[in-house]
Amino acid sequence: MAQFTIPAREATKEMRYQMGYALSDLARENPRIVAVDADLRSSSGLHIFEYFHPDKLIKVGIAEQNLIAVSAGLSQEGYIPFPCTFDAFCRRFMDQLYVTVAYTNLNVKVLGAYAGLFTGKAGATHQSDKELSLLLRIPNLRVIEPGCNLEMAQALRCAAETPGPFYLRIVRCEVEYNELFDGYQFRLGKGVRVIDEGDDVGLVTTGYMIRTGKAAARKLLARGVGVRLDHHPTLKPFDRELLYDMARRVKVILTLENHCTSGGLYSLVAEALATEGMAVRVGAIGTDPEDFIHTGHVNDLLYRYGMTSDHVVEKALALRKRSS
Amino acid sequence: MSVAQAGVTPTHVDPMRFQLFWRPFRSDSSSVVDVLPFHREYPALLESCEKMAYLIRSYSVFSMTCASLGHPGGSFSEAEFLAVLYNYVLRYRPEDPSWPMRDVFYLSKCHACPAYYAALALVGYFPVERLKFYGQWGSGLESHPDALVTPGVEISGGSLGQIPGVAVGRALGIRRNGPDHNDRMVYVLLGDGECNEGAVWEAFMAAAHYALDNLTFVIDYNKVQAKGFVHQDMNIEPLADKLRAFGLDVYEVSNGHNVAELVDLFTTLRQHRRGKPVAVVLHTIKGKKVRQCQYNPNWHTSAPRTIEAARAWLRELWEQDGKRLGVPEAFVESLGSAMEIVPPLHPDVEQVVDRQA
Repeated sequence: MAQFTIPAREATKEMRYQMGYALSDLARENPRIVAVDADLRSSSGLHIFEYFHPDKLIKVGIAEQNLIAVSAGLSQEGYIPFPCTFDAFCRRFMDQLYVTVAYTNLNVKVLGAYAGLFTGKAGATHQSDKELSLLLRIPNLRVIEPGCNLEMAQALRCAAETPGPFYLRIVRCEVEYNELFDGYQFRLGKGVRVIDEGDDVGLVTTGYMIRTGKAAARKLLARGVGVRLDHHPTLKPFDRELLYDMARRVKVILTLENHCTSGGLYSLVAEALATEGMAVRVGAIGTDPEDFIHTGHVNDLLYRYGMTSDHVVEKALALRKRSS
Repeated sequence: MSVAQAGVTPTHVDPMRFQLFWRPFRSDSSSVVDVLPFHREYPALLESCEKMAYLIRSYSVFSMTCASLGHPGGSFSEAEFLAVLYNYVLRYRPEDPSWPMRDVFYLSKCHACPAYYAALALVGYFPVERLKFYGQWGSGLESHPDALVTPGVEISGGSLGQIPGVAVGRALGIRRNGPDHNDRMVYVLLGDGECNEGAVWEAFMAAAHYALDNLTFVIDYNKVQAKGFVHQDMNIEPLADKLRAFGLDVYEVSNGHNVAELVDLFTTLRQHRRGKPVAVVLHTIKGKKVRQCQYNPNWHTSAPRTIEAARAWLRELWEQDGKRLGVPEAFVESLGSAMEIVPPLHPDVEQVVDRQA
């Protein structure tokens, strides 16, 4: 059997590898958990799962449609399958996810690895910044985008323990163990107030972007701009109540997502505010929905699409100026 | 019902009381007994399967006509297979659809569900009366099956090519469940046109890779797909050779409407596990037994246009099968009288013209 290097648990902060460890932990507790791989295990982190549970990793080869179909069948025999491939390739099994899994409300937990821009220079075919547009409109499906390794592990557990289909977006890059606070506990469908120091600007983050949001908040606060930051790891169902609470207090809102600025977090926020008739100006940080994200170092991509904390500060200040 | 009001006259029977002349062959569908050609029960089994196939077709005509919706071609080509499957092959408990020791049947050519619904109703998953409301909002009999609302349906579908892969996962899961589940079988019925879908071949490849000998793919090779003939739209020949090359154990049924051939083959398959998944190529005729529909792509999607046309279909079926199998003529007449095009729940305020089929 091919052997892949397995990074030591303490030595890596990459979410993909920590996902491999966290899923292995869960499978030790729950014998019904299996993982399903479409020939990407050493990239997605499932090779770690395979190391600990060789008999629980089911390989379907490079066949994303079959990845989801086989997982659906396994779930019907009481297993809890975690099929995993690149997030971008959900485009190849969207119909299996919609019809077979979600319509039948099957207990399948899809892991989308390499979410967003963090693909290690894999280029336009592998960057996944448009997918939420469909994923967030599939009935029965719950969509989670964790922002740190603690939250990722808690979200995995939640997915394993909650019946029904889930989709988790997992980034490839390093993230902190805990971006929130001591004793943080992920709750499905609930956002969390992370910073509450003023009402000039409200930052709404999901997934990896909590890190950028926190850095931007520090810079804004240092300039005397009051900031509230809410983190929404669950995108579906979306925590509208927390958003409304923010919208009642802050002057402008800026959404931050590792995704394009249409169909994802920005759209969720805009739809929710429009429904309640809340007239708060909302800006968006994310990629351009009209672009294919070409190959480049992730720093260059973040600059190209204005997704660094400096860009967030700049945009927040400009938004505030327009709204005052 | 008008039949009851009319009193007991020889020309009227309650068209929903098929039990007057047919019951499932087995008193207990949760177990199987092999019936071989030299067994005393063999002729009775064949007759029972033929009669069930006749009823599947007749009730399909009934439901499709009431709904102005349906897929008669594929429903008629699979009728004998479904009859043999539910009457003889599968183990299941209609009163407990999620009984964990059941065999699994997936209909992958989901559009052909009028026959599927009729089969499920005949063996007791739900009352046949419900077939009248096929396609009606809230009836639980969707245009393409929804496993969450129709008892006996294992998975929702309607987008072709997906369910063979589900069957692979199911068969793998059954094997992982251990020796207690060792003899549970998974059957999946695919369309021939459905084999145009690449995902079907992903499933065949995986089934052979995992040597799933508890899995049988059955291909309803009726030679006609939605809008044309298979060999002209997208040829799948040489089908049996392709399946063999994919590592499947291939059997061909030369006449998929001959219940004896089906009974004998599935008895054999049940007795022999050869370490490979099985593929059965069922040579059938699209629209079988209704002359207008036979081998005709026009009747892939289409319900009989009028009640009169549907009654002619019912009569045609009776003349061929019902009569020789001892189904009273009154049944055909009563079933014909019971047909009516079920109106929508709401009035047509917008004057919409959007005919089904």
